[in-house]
Parts: sequence; structure tokens; C-alpha cells
Amino acid sequence: MNKESVKKFGVFCLAGLAAVSIAACKGNGDNSKNIIISEDKTKRVINLFSPMEKTRPDADNVARTAADKTIILAEEKLGVSVQYNTYTAENYQDKTYDDVALDRVRSNMDDIYLLNPDTIQILGEENLLMDLSGLESAKNLRDVVKIANIVDGKLVAIPQEVVAYGLFINKDMFDQYNLSLPNTPEEFLECCRVFKENGIETPIGANRWWLETFVLAQAYADLYNGGNTEAEIAALNSGESKYSDYMREGFEFLQELIDCGYIDAKKAYVSEAIEGEGADFLSQKTPIVMAYWGAANAETAYGNPDFNMLVIGFPSKRGQMPVVPITGFAIGADAEHAEDAKKTLDILVSDEALQIYSETNKVISSSKNVEVECIPALKPLNNRINENVYVLGSNASMKLEQWGNTCLIVRKLLNGATVEACMAEFDRLQQETLK
Amino acid sequence: MKKEKNRSRSDKGMPLLLSIVIVFSILGVVVFSVSHKISKEMTASAVQNLNESLDLIECTIEAIFNKEAEFQKLMAQEIALASDMEAYICSYQNNQTMVKVSLICTGETVGISNTGEAFSQAELDFSSGKKIEGLPISKTYINYMGAWAYTMKCPVQKDGQEVAVLYIEYTFDSLDKSLPNGFYNQKAMLYIMDAETERFVLKPKGMGVRDAGHLNLEDFYRANDIYEEDLMTEVTKCLENNKNILYYHKVLGENALNYMWAVNDGAHYLIGYVPIEAIQQEGDTVNQNIYIVVAVMLVAFFLCCVLYYFSQRQQNKIRKEREIEREIYNKQLAEALQAAQIASNSKTMFLSNMSHDIRTPMNAVLGFTTLLAKDAENPEKVREYTKKITASGQHLLSLINDILDVSKIESGKVVLTMEEFTLNDLVSSVDAIIRPMANNRNQTFYVQVTGIQHEYLVGDETRINQILINLLSNAVKYTPEGGDIWFRIIGLKQHSSQFEHIRIEVEDNGYGMTPEYLTTIFDAFTRAENSTTNKVQGTGLGMAITKNIVELMGGSIDVVSEVDKGSIFRVELELRISENETYKQFWKENGISRILVVSSDTEECANISLLMKESEVDAESVPNLQETLVLLRQKHNALRYQMILIDWETVKTDEIASLRELRELVSEGVPILFGVSCTGNSVEEAQHEEILGIPNTGILTKPFFVSACQEKILDMHMQQNGSNTAESAERNNLSGLHFLAAEDNDINAEILIEILSIEGAACEVVENGRMVVERFASAVKGEFDAILMDVQMPVMNGYDATRAIRALPREDAVTIPIIAMTANAFAEDEKEALEAGMNIHLAKPIDIELLKKVIYQCVQKK
Repeated sequence: MNKESVKKFGVFCLAGLAAVSIAACKGNGDNSKNIIISEDKTKRVINLFSPMEKTRPDADNVARTAADKTIILAEEKLGVSVQYNTYTAENYQDKTYDDVALDRVRSNMDDIYLLNPDTIQILGEENLLMDLSGLESAKNLRDVVKIANIVDGKLVAIPQEVVAYGLFINKDMFDQYNLSLPNTPEEFLECCRVFKENGIETPIGANRWWLETFVLAQAYADLYNGGNTEAEIAALNSGESKYSDYMREGFEFLQELIDCGYIDAKKAYVSEAIEGEGADFLSQKTPIVMAYWGAANAETAYGNPDFNMLVIGFPSKRGQMPVVPITGFAIGADAEHAEDAKKTLDILVSDEALQIYSETNKVISSSKNVEVECIPALKPLNNRINENVYVLGSNASMKLEQWGNTCLIVRKLLNGATVEACMAEFDRLQQETLK
Repeated sequence: MKKEKNRSRSDKGMPLLLSIVIVFSILGVVVFSVSHKISKEMTASAVQNLNESLDLIECTIEAIFNKEAEFQKLMAQEIALASDMEAYICSYQNNQTMVKVSLICTGETVGISNTGEAFSQAELDFSSGKKIEGLPISKTYINYMGAWAYTMKCPVQKDGQEVAVLYIEYTFDSLDKSLPNGFYNQKAMLYIMDAETERFVLKPKGMGVRDAGHLNLEDFYRANDIYEEDLMTEVTKCLENNKNILYYHKVLGENALNYMWAVNDGAHYLIGYVPIEAIQQEGDTVNQNIYIVVAVMLVAFFLCCVLYYFSQRQQNKIRKEREIEREIYNKQLAEALQAAQIASNSKTMFLSNMSHDIRTPMNAVLGFTTLLAKDAENPEKVREYTKKITASGQHLLSLINDILDVSKIESGKVVLTMEEFTLNDLVSSVDAIIRPMANNRNQTFYVQVTGIQHEYLVGDETRINQILINLLSNAVKYTPEGGDIWFRIIGLKQHSSQFEHIRIEVEDNGYGMTPEYLTTIFDAFTRAENSTTNKVQGTGLGMAITKNIVELMGGSIDVVSEVDKGSIFRVELELRISENETYKQFWKENGISRILVVSSDTEECANISLLMKESEVDAESVPNLQETLVLLRQKHNALRYQMILIDWETVKTDEIASLRELRELVSEGVPILFGVSCTGNSVEEAQHEEILGIPNTGILTKPFFVSACQEKILDMHMQQNGSNTAESAERNNLSGLHFLAAEDNDINAEILIEILSIEGAACEVVENGRMVVERFASAVKGEFDAILMDVQMPVMNGYDATRAIRALPREDAVTIPIIAMTANAFAEDEKEALEAGMNIHLAKPIDIELLKKVIYQCVQKK
């Protein structure tokens, strides 16, 4: 570098410094005497009621992240602020999320609610939920979603994903004992027997919420896959056939599992979802648990096991059977911010949002236009759904709400009630629907 | 010295570097301290701010609770006044704050709510004992609306008697509207916790980052990894004692200030955290600005340093260049001084030598003139003294000539006079000078000529002569008596057909020279100094002159010498071959086309053959006289040769008869020449034999030259014609001639008159040019035979006078010989003289024989 270049470089540097210094010292140019920082108090707020999950500092909750992304999308598009109101029961003695959700909807506390299938049906029947069939995004929904969430002709809830429940299998342990994946209840019992004989104290990990999926898979495998679904539902609604007749087989099967010691009924009765059985499953003390699709993706659940995990359908006489309870976002019929809530929900379940959601969470989208590749562990379950082989966990066209009631009656079984008593409860509930 | 300099530079550099490092370290410490202090103060201020904010929120919440309690008391008073308390309750419409109003009359366990439902206190838990404004407050619970709620109970008193208890249910959600929409730029997280259940019952809107919230304190700890035992102990202690606590802990990977702030005397707590980043936002901004300012200053400083460095470097460069320049000048000055000193010393020495060398012959001249005056009557002594005076004068003259030559060479005035000459003349003249000198010192002087193809050459013979005389006279001088001196002329391979490439070698086995002296031998004013050579006279200019002349001729000279073993000088010259071929005619005219060489020296035979070839004469050789006779006894052979050249050294003393027979065998007209070496007594012997009377024979001095041979044959022919003797006797006789001379110096004029009078000539001397012109103009035609003209004269110089004479309107003005006799002895002087119209140029001092010869020639021509 010659002398002339050095001089030029020096001059440029000094000029640059001077420019930066002057720019740094420049004021904001606001000459107003009022120095208050104006706040946007006109921002519209939408209250969203949803469950909270007990968090861990080192875990990434992709389900929550996926939902947050769609919320942010809606906020950006509409200029609204979505405020989270949450509740989760501390223990089984606390009010359940569903109870609180029912209360809040009935008291019109929030605008948008994330509801389980039973509450959707209850609140829909109470006419407390807004009809969402007019939303633009509703046109893209899969049929299974529409069927499950139409109450009295109104689409009362729209989910962001098709939640499918299945059995989470420790494939390594099955391989260890040369067990093939069970298709029927008998095969499943045989697997449990082998595990039990090999020192696995409780082959099936369970909680107080999701054992109903076992029962539902047994009960409605034929109903949903026999080709006569509508007629059979009509017969149930009219009282010509009894829910107990469908349910008995599943309850007896569950009872046998309890009696054989394959399920710890007492523990399950007081256990919250995943909290009770998750630790044993992850530490490979329990080879089988049941959970929803998203649990296979979430680090807060079973997203990162140390073993080869597979998710299969529940064993039934029609083979492995996924159980699909349709949850969803609903809007209170008298919501304070009804219009904004509708617009927000329209975006939350739009193809754009669902694409983001599904890609983040690797779930089955509720929109027929959104397809994403699932993780390998979920392939067996996904294959069955793609074959249109599944059982609905809830069906608004059935007069007797299935998801919540079955859950409660299974809890009674866990608490020591007989299968007969449980069937009697179904009969009683069916009678109430006929009144 | 250089190392010293570098060390001193590094010695200076280190403290400077250390000083800079120290200054920057201090600056760094100061900046860090200021920054740290600002951060600390800002943090303290932020903590204080947070305290105040939490205080404000606490006061707000407490105020709401207190107002609720006060309102409930008022309501209780109103109910007490009502006629039907239950109807009053039922008439109450829910609002967002008081979501349920219930009343249980005293003495009953079940009361009524404003919703129309039965109400029992069993649903509520007042066991904590916490009170607001004296009213017990229940544990928080999820109410029928699915919202977190609490109930305060207030006794309804009538006439001092408690008649019922008023229960009013409030939701925490109602507090939300009274709380700020976030603080610390909505980065601070805030929950309201029920102290009894440790459940988080409210997360006000706009507080903290978006998340699903926390269930309870345990969930908060788990989510934020707060498990340190000592911290948990302190937190638990504060909770138990309803005290506030602020502590630092990482939340979501970021440092945060966590707080637990008691509200309602510890019934509720404000739980949350503020990221340090949010607290120190202003501090960070200030620090960033400080760092920017410091960075800008540092950059500016470094720029200044860089500019200073480059400036210093430039200056250093200039200084170094100047130093180098100065050193060069100093060196040059020192060299010049040294050279000047050497020159001065040389010249001093030269003057000293000159003084000695000039004084010595001068002393001889003056001494002998004294003796001459004294012994004027003794002719023998007079002759001896005058001979010695002449020798000394000659020596003085050579000294002066050398000095003049050097002066001329140094001033670049030397001009070579190119003219035709023969190597024979050159060798003869050199031999004639050197051989007597060598003989005087009993030295043997060998002359050898080999490989020469052409002996008629073009060059400055005088200067070549000067070179040879210088070299050879030195060899004689610096070789002790009885030594040997070799003078060789060797023909080398020609570079061009027009030039004869010759090497002249002068070798002796004398004193030799030291290697130190050899380096300066060709410098002027130097002379080998030692005890032996000091005896030798000389100017020390000879070699310088020689070298300069050689180089002027485009040649080269070198010397090899060893002390006490001798020296050899080699001069290489390329001399143009003469284009004049008249000498070839001589051989044809004399009918000589083949000669017989009788010599045992084959090399000599080859040389002769080579030289004769140029004259188109074949030379055949036989090794001795006997074989020659055998050869010539055959008749056809006797007629075959037109000349016989016999090496005298091959003739044995008893072969005189053979010589006579040889004379008889060949025709009488065939000349027989004897090649005789100059060394030893060969010449005398040969002359003696010649006296024996063998007809048509001659002696030819070796080395053999064609021109010498030619002259010899010519002489022999002339002798045979008998005409040359009288002519020769007549030659150089000046008697009867009358000269006009221009000479301003009286002594010179007198000498001239005397010399000419001795020769029988008369001379009239005038003092200057003007007078000589006038005298000649007034003279009658034929009065003067020639004019002897000095050049440097007053009034009019010789050149002008000559031009004036030549311009005179007289017939003999053009023809009268004008002979320059001047001390201006240079060639250019001669040239100028001839250009002025003079016929001949003679340098002073006047050589009388030369003068006679010149005058004779001029007068003859005239």
C-alpha cells in the first residue's frame, strides 16, 4: 500500500467515524411538548381458554410451539392480541379441565375455547357454541372432522389436527421376547402374559383419562368399519340397540387386563395423563402405554425415547384400530369479541396456518389440503388411518356423548365397579337420552 | 554499530510500548470501572424501580381487596336493615367483581345464594385465618364460572347481634383490569399466587412472554430449574414469614431477577421475574455508548498512530537516504582526499626524483664545463668532457621529453601519426639503441621475430618505437649486469585480413617487481623503490606513457613479474597491413623468384619462407652447407636459385672452402647473404670472412626481414656499380650555403652560427619574425639557400613569418626552404608548422647530423 492509499484510507475512516458519531447523536426529531410514549389502547383482545401443560426447562413442547405459531400468524394478520387463559388440574381431586371449560363456556368467560370431544357435544347440545360452518376455512376440513363435530346440524368446533390415539410400543422389548405386534385382543393378552412372566410387573402403563380408548376400539370397531355406521347409530339413538351391548366386550377385555395384573387399576385411577405412566415407559419398565399422536412428537411426552418406539392401533377383532376423538376450537355463542374470535379462528384453521402447524408438530392435519410426512414411529398408525380404518372417539351424531361418559365409566371400573354395573350405567345414560 | 543502533532503537521502543500498554490498560480499567459502576447503579436503580412497581401493584391489589371488604361491610349493614334478608340477597344481580352473594342466617348451616341455589360454608375453606379489613378470606378455588375465586365472609349484625353471615365471592379475573398492562416493556412476568395453595390464580394480561403459563409454584420452580437448596430454604422462609424476596436466577437461559412479593399480609403473592437485560436496558445503552465513544477514540488514536508511523517511516527513510548519500559523499571525499594525497605524495616524490634526476646530469654538465674551461688546452680531455656533457644533455632531454609526453597524454593531446613503416626499421632502430645499452651492462640482448606474415605495416612508428624503447630500456635498467633480455615479435592469428596481429614481448631475468608495485606500475609518477633500483635513474613516467600509447593504439599491455626472477611485458597490437606493393616489384625486377635458405634452424626457415611468400618469392631450405653443395652440384639446381641465404651459425670455421665452392657453383650474379646474429662476435667474424673476398656476398643482420634483405641486395648492386661512395661523401656537406635564421635567443643563435660555420655554411640571424620577413624581402634572389625559423618569437612568431614570406611577391618566396627549429616539439606543432608553409620541422635541441641531413635534402630538392 503506497502512501497515497494510506492517506485516502485514513481520510475515509475519519469521515466514516464522523458520520457515525453525528448519526449516533442525532435526536428523534419529535418537537412535541408532550413527551409521553403513546400506547395503543385500542388493540383488540381475544381470550383463548386452553389447557396448560406442566413444563420442563429442558423440554421443547412442539405442540405448544406449533399452536403459538398459528396464533402469531393470526395476530399479525388481524392486528389483534390473543390472550391465553389456562387451566390444568393439579390432581384428580381438582376440577378437571373439561369441568372448568364447561363452566367457563356457560359463564361466557372467554371467546375461543379448546375443547375435548365430550365438552364439544355437551356444549353444542346446550347451544352455547357458535356455528362455524360459515368460516371460509371450514370448507377444507376432512369429513371425519365434520362428522365428529356437527351437533344439531351446526359445526361447533374445528380442530387443528386429527388426534389419533394408539398404543405406544417399546419395539425393542417386544423383540427381546420375540413378540410380534398384537392385532387382536387375544394376541395382546398373550404379549402381556409373556411380559408378565418375564418379570414386567405391569406391562401396560395407564392413566385415568385414556383407558377409554381401549374400550372404544373394542366397542365400535365393527360399527365404524362394518359399512352400516349410520343405521347402527340411528338404532342407538332410537334405543333399538344398546350402547352397553357394544361396550361390554371392551369392558370385559379391560377387566381381564386388570384382573391379570397387566394394568394397575388403582394407580391408573389417580394418575394424570403421561405423568403417571410416562416415566416407567421411557425408562423401559413398561413396554406398552396409550397416548395421542402428538405425544410421539413432543419432547414433553414420548418424543425422544432411548429405544425403538412404534405407535400402533388398539387390538380389536378387526385388527389394529386407531381411535380418533375429534377435539377442536370452539367459540362461545355469546362471546364478548365474537366477530374477532371468528376471524381469528378462521385464520387458525386456514390451510396456511395448518401447514405451519402440521409441519412443526408432524400431525395429521384437519384440512384435506395439508399433507405432511409423519415420523417413522407413527407410520403403522398413519397407515391404518390412510386405509380409513379407525374408530371415532366421539361422535356428535350419537345422542349419548361417548368420550367423556366412557372415560367416567372406565374410571368406575378402575375404582372397582363390575362390568355389569358399568353396563347398567350406559343403559341409564342411554335412557336419559331417550327422554 | 548497526546492532548497537538497533538495540538502542529497541531500548527506546520497549518503554514506549510499555507506556502505551499501561495507558491503555488504565483506560480499559477506567472504562470498565465506569461501565461497571453505571451498570451497578442502573441495576440498583432498576431494583428500586422494580420494588416501587411491585409496591404499586401490591397496593393496588390490596386496595381492591380492602374496598371489596369495605363494600361487603356496607352491604352487610344494608342487609341488616332489610326486612327480608334472603329476598334482598336474591335480588342482587351478579357483576364481574362480586360473582356470587350468599347469606347464611345465624343458627343455620345452609343459606341461600343470589343464584337461587342453596349455599353452605362447607364448600369453602377459611382455615388459613387470613383476613382483609377484618373479614376472613377463604382459600382460592375454581368457582362455578370456571374462574379462580375467593370468598370473604362478613357478619350481618342487627342491634349488636349477629343475625347472619354474608358471603361474597370475588374472582381474581376482576383484578386484571386494575393492573398495568405489563411493566419493563412487557418483559417482566407476573403471576398472582394464592399463598395457601401455592396455585397461580391470575396471570395479568400483557405480562411477560407468551406461554401457556404455570400451574403453581412447584411448576414455576420446575420450569425455571429453581432447585438450589439454599435458595429454596430462603424462599420458603420468606413465604412462611410473609416477607418479600428478590433474587437472581436464570429463567429460560437468561439471567433474571426473580421476585416473590407478599400481598394482603401474605395471603397472596406476586410471583415472577424480570430479565436482567430488561432491567439494565438503559445501563446497557449507556455502556454501549461509552464503548462506542471509546472505540471511536481508539480508532482515531490508532489512525493517528498509523499516520504518525507512516510519517516517521517516511522521515526515517529520507534520513536513511540522506545518511547513505552522506556516507557515499564522505567516502568519495575520503577517496578523493586519499587520491589527492597519493597524487600529492607521488608528485612530491616525482619532484624529489626530478630534482635528483635533473640535478645529476646538470651537475655533470656544469662540472664538465668547469673542467672544460680548466683543461681547454688539452684536446683529449676536451673531447672526453664534451662527450660526457653531450650524454648528460641527452639524458636531460629524455627526462624533459617524458614529462612533456605525460603532460600531453594527460591532457588528451596525443595524436597518432599513421604512416607506413617496416618491422625491419622498427627492430633495427630499437636494436641500435638497446643493444649498446645492454652491451654496456654486459647483458645479452636477444631479438626474435616469429610468425610474422607482413612486415610492411601502417602505424605511428615513432610511438611504437617509444613503447619498445621504454620497455627495453627498463629491462636493461632493472636487470643486473650479465643478465639476459629477450625482445620478441610474434605474429598471432589475424582477426582481420587487413590487420597484422602482433605480440611484442620484453622479458628479462632482472630484479622483478613486487605484487604491490605491479598494481601501480602503469600509474604516473611511480617507480619501483628499493635499494637496488634507487641506483637507477628515471622519471617513473615511462610505463604510464607506454600504457597510454598502447591503449591509444587500441592494444593492450600486461606484465608478469616476480621479485629476483624477472619480468615479462606483453603488448598486443593490431596494425594495418600496408597496401603499398611496390616492394614486390623489386624481386621481379631483379629476377628473384626462388631463394635457398641454408639453416639448421627450421623455425627460422619457416619464418623466412612466410615472409618471402608475401613477395611472391619461394624459399627452399637445406639444413647445412654440405647438403647445399650436394644440391647445387647438380647443374639444374645451381641455376634454380636467384639468391642464397646462409645462416652464419650453420657455417663451421673450416667450411670457408665450401663457401668458395658454393660461390663457384652458382652464378656470379646470384647474391649470397649471410644471416648474422647481432649477439656475440658473429658480425665481426662474418665481416672478417667477407674480407676474404668472396664476390657478391653480403651480411644481413638477423632477424630476417624482407626489406632488410632488399636493401642489402640494393647496396650490393650499388657497390658493384661503384657510384655510391662519392655520393655518400658528398651527402650532408653544407659548405658554401647561406642561411637566414630567426632566433630570439642569443645563445641558441650563437650555437647555430657556430655549428653551421663548422660545416662551412654562413648564417645570418635576426631576432624575430618580422625582421626575417623584412630581411628576406630585401635580399636578392638566391642570397639565402634556406631559412631556419624559430617559432616562438617576439613581434611576430615563426608561423606568421612563414606565411608572410610565402605571401611575398617574389619568385623564390614559395620555393625557398623554411625549416622550423623550435622547442615546440609535439606532432601538432609539426603539423601547424607544415600548414603554415614550412618545409621541415626540427625540434630543439638541434641534432646537428639531422639538421645537416634535412638541409641537404631541402637544398637538393630546391
